[in-house]
Amino acid sequence: MLRVAQALFGVAAALFLILPIVAILPLAFTSSIFLNYPIPGYSLRWFQELGEIAHWRNSIVNSLIIGSGATVLSVVLGTLAALGLRGRGIPFPNLLRTVFLLPMVVPAVVLGVGLQISLAQIGLASSYLGVIFSHAVLCVPFVIVSVSTALQGINPTVERAAASLGASPTRVFRRVTMPLAMPGIVTGAVFAFATSLDEVVLTLFVAGPNQRTLARQMFSSIRENISPAVAAAALLLIVGTLLLALLAAYTRRRTAKVVEA
Amino acid sequence: MNAVSARQRGRAALLIAPLVIFLGVFFLWPLWLMVDVSIRNDAIGGAFPRTAELIGSWDGEAMPDAEIQAALVEDLRETPQSTLGAAVRTLNSQVSGFRTLMGRTANAARDLEDGQTLDLVEVDDRWAEPRFWQAIQTSVAPYTDRNLLAALDLERSDTGEIERMAASASANRLIIWRTFAIAGSVTVLCALIGLPYAMLAASVTGWKRNALLLAVLLPLWTSLLVRTAAWFILLQNEGIINKTLIGLGWIDGPLPLIFNRLGVVIAMTHVLLPFMVLPIFSVVSAIPKNLMPAAASLGARPLRAFWRVLLPLSMPGLLAGSLLVFMVAIGYYITPALVGGPNDQMISSVIAFYALQTANWGMAGALGILLLAVTTVLYLVYGRLSRGGAPTGA
Amino acid sequence: MTAFIELRGVSKTFGQVTVVEGLNLEVRKGEFLSLLGPSGSGKTTILMMLAGFEGATSGDILLDGEKIDHLPPYRRGMGVVFQNYALFPHMSVAENVAFPLEMRGVPKSETRPRVKAALDRVQLGHLADRRPDQLSGGQQQRVALTRALVYEPKVILMDEPLGALDKKLREEMQLEIRELHRRLGLTIIFVTHDQSEALTMSDRIAIFDAGKIAQIGTAGEVYDHPHNRFVAEFIGETNLLDGVVKGPAAVELTNGATIVAPDHGYAAGSRVSVSIRPERLRLDGNGDNRLQATISDVVYQGDHLRLHLDAGALSLVARLERGAAERRTGESVTVSFAAADCSVFAA
Repeated sequence: MLRVAQALFGVAAALFLILPIVAILPLAFTSSIFLNYPIPGYSLRWFQELGEIAHWRNSIVNSLIIGSGATVLSVVLGTLAALGLRGRGIPFPNLLRTVFLLPMVVPAVVLGVGLQISLAQIGLASSYLGVIFSHAVLCVPFVIVSVSTALQGINPTVERAAASLGASPTRVFRRVTMPLAMPGIVTGAVFAFATSLDEVVLTLFVAGPNQRTLARQMFSSIRENISPAVAAAALLLIVGTLLLALLAAYTRRRTAKVVEA
Repeated sequence: MNAVSARQRGRAALLIAPLVIFLGVFFLWPLWLMVDVSIRNDAIGGAFPRTAELIGSWDGEAMPDAEIQAALVEDLRETPQSTLGAAVRTLNSQVSGFRTLMGRTANAARDLEDGQTLDLVEVDDRWAEPRFWQAIQTSVAPYTDRNLLAALDLERSDTGEIERMAASASANRLIIWRTFAIAGSVTVLCALIGLPYAMLAASVTGWKRNALLLAVLLPLWTSLLVRTAAWFILLQNEGIINKTLIGLGWIDGPLPLIFNRLGVVIAMTHVLLPFMVLPIFSVVSAIPKNLMPAAASLGARPLRAFWRVLLPLSMPGLLAGSLLVFMVAIGYYITPALVGGPNDQMISSVIAFYALQTANWGMAGALGILLLAVTTVLYLVYGRLSRGGAPTGA
Repeated sequence: MTAFIELRGVSKTFGQVTVVEGLNLEVRKGEFLSLLGPSGSGKTTILMMLAGFEGATSGDILLDGEKIDHLPPYRRGMGVVFQNYALFPHMSVAENVAFPLEMRGVPKSETRPRVKAALDRVQLGHLADRRPDQLSGGQQQRVALTRALVYEPKVILMDEPLGALDKKLREEMQLEIRELHRRLGLTIIFVTHDQSEALTMSDRIAIFDAGKIAQIGTAGEVYDHPHNRFVAEFIGETNLLDGVVKGPAAVELTNGATIVAPDHGYAAGSRVSVSIRPERLRLDGNGDNRLQATISDVVYQGDHLRLHLDAGALSLVARLERGAAERRTGESVTVSFAAADCSVFAA
């Protein structure tokens, strides 16, 4: 009796979590102009629209530009800082770590107001650079967390062994530390890109009409005139995130094999 | 060996410096600017620079001395008409009568020839009343608590006491209250679903556990916007839920599920549920497996064993999850904006409204400070809790 | 003998795997019975069935003549001491010990002195307000024991209770538990994979092999007269000599020698193994049986010497007290032993 109730609850809760996401996907292929079931017929017209209508196409391009920029920036800054935090001799390492993770906690709207004011003061309002910097702030914590985790997993004796075998500190870093940290860096990059891809609030505050991202575009079309193009865009986002996750998993496995070998 | 060479230290600092600078410029400075803009008071101080410098020393009762009076006259002569106009309008909104008073005095000041002094009371006998001087004194201060007070529907009276604004003037308290209410209901719902779910996931093994965890992680990996859009589609009047219910004959017309509180709470619960499940799961799955059998062997019935052993041991996870959900929920913007109605907008929406629609950064900043303060306190508590839960963790 | 606890034809299967098969076992009141066996031999499963955490697939479990199969764990009233103790980490030592009394509705006023007395008995009174994680392993072990004893259960079940302690503490606790058993007249069923622990503590030992009892008996019985190869090898060290039965008490070994063994009942021509403990082998020529051998190695082991011997196709190990004549590798010797010290079973 209790077993049955448990199973029912588990299934119901899991469906509550999964079904909404699954439900939106088929609508990307509807031939109707309504974002709704039942689907009268299947077509790729909404994907065509994403590619042909200027504001959708531009928003996809913008998302790729801004996402790449924010990813590169946050991965470089975050990885360097994670390496720095690993070494001893940094004053207040815990405080620094907390500050580095803070962008994850501060409400996006609050940071948005601040960035809107500050970017205007340094002439970066409504610029690609401004949006990239803003997104990178949000991406940094993810990079820090995943790179730090990877670095923590490195057994220091491995690095000592490399040194004892005659490798200089630079070569130890290049041949041992970096390859072992790589999965963490890739995971961090994937999280960073996905974060930027999904970012709406900061973009609302700091981007001009020329920097509208896909997420931002979806936000306004859900708000103003919802159409199956939103479902098509959602599918793109899901597929994009999924591909990135697979890429991360693949690198992780490959590195694991290299380490084992 | 604790000695760290200066070179090592230098290298570590060099590695960290770029991020420190970057976050300094694009994270901490913006937050500071937001705080600054909400408390800075340039409009009036900028129009009366000389007066601002001197009036601070005035005792607030007797007629200000000649030096201060002369400074005011000088300001009225020198400040450009446009700057002065804006400042006087602001002053007038605090104490009515300022517009005519200042207008008359400014004219007299401009007509004044060099070297002469102006007897202000002679120009307008209202200058003998301390309240006008008091208004100037408080208004020219470089910082003001006006916006912060207004964020809580408070204001200062003419005499400087803090009092509540007229009920019609502002609705911030209502919105703060609503923000807490929505975040609170979402937290409770997440706990009601998340606690048994996490316990179930921790109690099973193999594919069942993996499936239950995947169901939590999949939404976490999916774009927030996609999930909100999905709820938009499900909840609309012609959406699947209403159509199914009508098809089953359970209801005649569509239930109002979207653009209201119910829709916001359902969608936010879905979005935030993983933040509840994961901390609880990590705590529950670390509870030794033999404690429940031990309780049973000592005579505890299943319900009592749950109540006395499993639940207390799960508490740190439940607390951490609830704090996390609540903390994230009070800052939510997108979900209420898309599936909520006008009466479901939370504090973030009001901040966005002030900043994006009316360019009132003072108010946006003040409400932002409030939200930031609450979030920070919750985060500190959360940090302390999760450290306390794992005393061995570095 | 009246059985206090009785298992009748108890089997337990998990899916395809049979963990316990047709088990019959009787435990007397006040007896200390050890269930000994390698991991996976089913001994813990039996304990869990007794405690009520696992149901038997078939068969009956009786306590004091009454079937208890249908009773849930919390109504069996057995004290269980778990592996790793299973102390409640969110409760103090005193609260842990008070827990079973609380579950039985014992009034608070009565609980307090009982808990205090119980803790004082094991010298833990001064730690009553500590949390379990502030105690040492030995102290945690005592709390777990006290918690299982405080409500005076009829039976105490212990699942590898000393497995997490270091050797010295382990030996101390073994004596302490034995002392408790004697003083309180407890019936204890004790699961362990450590043979010396089982030999030290038990009235009887049940040795398990793949879900069945390979042999049950006193320490002396199972050590001196193993019934089968498994028991002979599992308990202590032994020499196993393969051979063929030649007569009622004669076995021809693979090196061609014929030895006298106790009457074993195997028909002539059967293939058998003869087990003889290393300390029963002698080099002084006394005994019913003699084998010619060469010393291949001498190992110094502190209080005794181990000799590795080659006797044609057979390898033997002998354990000699020190102080006997000096022995050197390569020396030829005559190994002798008494027929009564041999055990014979099917190969």
